[in-house]
Amino acid sequence: MFLRVLFCFCLFNCVFFTHAQTCCSGGIPLSNNIGLAPLEKGTLQVGIHYDYNNLNTLNFGTEKLDDNSRLRVTHSVLLNANYDITSRLSIEGLFTWVNQRRKITQFDNENLEQSSGIGDAVLLLKYNFSNTFGQNSSLNIGAGTKIPLGSTTEKNSQGITLNADLQPGSNVWDLVLWTLMSKNFNFRPSFGVWSQITYRSTGTNKEYLENSTYKFGNEFQAYLGFSDQFLMFNALTNPGISFKYRHAEKDMISGFDLDNTGGNWISVIPDFSIYIKPNIIFSTQFEIPLYSNVDGIQLTPTYRLTTGLLFRILPKKNIINLN
Amino acid sequence: MKKILILYSIVLIFSCSNGGDGKNDNANTPQPEPEVWLIDKNKVLDGGPGKDGIPSIDNPKFVEAQSQVYINDNDLVVGVKYNNEVKAYPHDILNWHEIVNDAFNDQSLTINYCPLTGTAFGWQSMSNGEPSTFGVSGLLYLANLILYDRNTDSNWSQMLLQCVNGDLMGDFPTTVNVIETNWLTWKNLYPNTKVLSRDTGFYNDSHYNNYPYGPYLTVDDFFIFQVFPLNSTLPFKQRVYAIINNTAKVYQFSDFEGGNAIVDSFNGKNYLVVGNENVINAFELTNDFSNLNFEYCFNDTEVFFKDNEGNNWSIFGNAISGPREGQNLITPKSVVSFWFAIAAFYPDPEIYSN
Repeated sequence: MFLRVLFCFCLFNCVFFTHAQTCCSGGIPLSNNIGLAPLEKGTLQVGIHYDYNNLNTLNFGTEKLDDNSRLRVTHSVLLNANYDITSRLSIEGLFTWVNQRRKITQFDNENLEQSSGIGDAVLLLKYNFSNTFGQNSSLNIGAGTKIPLGSTTEKNSQGITLNADLQPGSNVWDLVLWTLMSKNFNFRPSFGVWSQITYRSTGTNKEYLENSTYKFGNEFQAYLGFSDQFLMFNALTNPGISFKYRHAEKDMISGFDLDNTGGNWISVIPDFSIYIKPNIIFSTQFEIPLYSNVDGIQLTPTYRLTTGLLFRILPKKNIINLN
Repeated sequence: MKKILILYSIVLIFSCSNGGDGKNDNANTPQPEPEVWLIDKNKVLDGGPGKDGIPSIDNPKFVEAQSQVYINDNDLVVGVKYNNEVKAYPHDILNWHEIVNDAFNDQSLTINYCPLTGTAFGWQSMSNGEPSTFGVSGLLYLANLILYDRNTDSNWSQMLLQCVNGDLMGDFPTTVNVIETNWLTWKNLYPNTKVLSRDTGFYNDSHYNNYPYGPYLTVDDFFIFQVFPLNSTLPFKQRVYAIINNTAKVYQFSDFEGGNAIVDSFNGKNYLVVGNENVINAFELTNDFSNLNFEYCFNDTEVFFKDNEGNNWSIFGNAISGPREGQNLITPKSVVSFWFAIAAFYPDPEIYSN
């Protein structure tokens, strides 16, 4: 029974905390793709995910404008790895490759600008407090940094440097704070409630367009999620649903707030995952905005899709076989 | 089971790949040497919204001056009198569209306005000798609008008044004199003016009550895109009137308080500069007109100044009445601009002083 609960817990965390969201509405999904839950000492988890973020909704504040001529798409490939140094301490890295597209369809023309390349990365050190909220509960905290691996000098076909929003990188180190709380219940051990909070304090790019500075707005994200577990096609599956609140402050350019950036968003994220092998989980999730309140006029997320695989390599003696 | 999942994953990824977009989809236009620019390419910036991300108004609607309810007397407008039509384009609308592809009794004219430099021009909607509309390229040079023509996809610097990239690089637009002033002045000059309607087909009426660039107008040293050189002789965002003749000569509205008509020399030409605290325009004083003495006389009619021969002249330099009725003064290239912009495009401009 204990193993089953542990297994459920691990699955639950793996499924929910490997998925992507964006640092800015259209940027590289870093902030909520971090936070693989720790397992036992010596465990290595490797996730490979694809994230598709579609922004085709033009908002003025909360008002949705009748204009779908602008399309902002971010394709991301996300590779993250987590190693449990001890039963409480773990380290996680997230590496990205990104293709960012901005397409305007107006006046019978389509105009596409895009950039591709390695994006920024995140390194996170985490500590686990088990049973903080009673039996089968967990509190994890972590701190880390975003590492500016991505290019910020990508140019368009005319040789003009693309603006900050379309660059794979940001050229700054950010501070990332993370916490994850979860609780499973005795009345149904497979059912769990979890909450995650991520805060990103952004740095300032002092070489933006050579002689300007640019700072993406600080970002706060909070999740509340529910998950359960069922047997389907002789495989363990985890359907779930979560709600996300995201707040982003305005970007700053040369020390001044930049209008038409930042805002508040609430979205719902149904998800589904399945064990295709005892140590391989396939997952997919779909994010649908419920509420968008942007500063000024902005493209705001229309939908987002994330799917991928998570591999867990347990210390040999501890491999659990449920088949 | 595994096969189903793998198949699902493949389908999912391809379904999200956005229809196989190519690298650049300007499919309807030829591709010139894209990376060759007449100006310093390093000073050309991606403004953010993208090409046509700020949509030009290609089918403008107009309302009568008396029926419009949105413009306040102090709101700025771009005024045009061309081919027997008089129209006003409120900044409130131009801030969101920057370009209006319009027609004046079937003569096509492109009115373009850059909110970041505060500059408005009108030019014939032609490129490569053929009619063309213009759009917002999404690029900026020294924080100023770069237009593109939809005939050849060439890029045109607004303040340089020149094509700077593409097949037509080096070409010049044929400009038409436009006036920038407040609504009260314009409607007193031309009470029968038509006014660009907020029914643009893009946003609702109230949208145009908002200014898209935050404190840009009120905070003098706030620049969304840095400009070099920055000349601090005058406040950066001070609106000035400038005559452009290879270099620029600048006139401050404060020098025309209450109305003034001056004759001034600049780069080998004589100019009549006439205006008040709200509007200024200038005219070349060619031989035919060099002996006239001009006097400001605006009294809320179309007559803006007069001369010692008894001619009454409009703000556009048309002799409305008098012995020279029907004659026109020549208007030089000129613009109302934020000081920083005119000083960046035409470094160390001469400033008129009493």
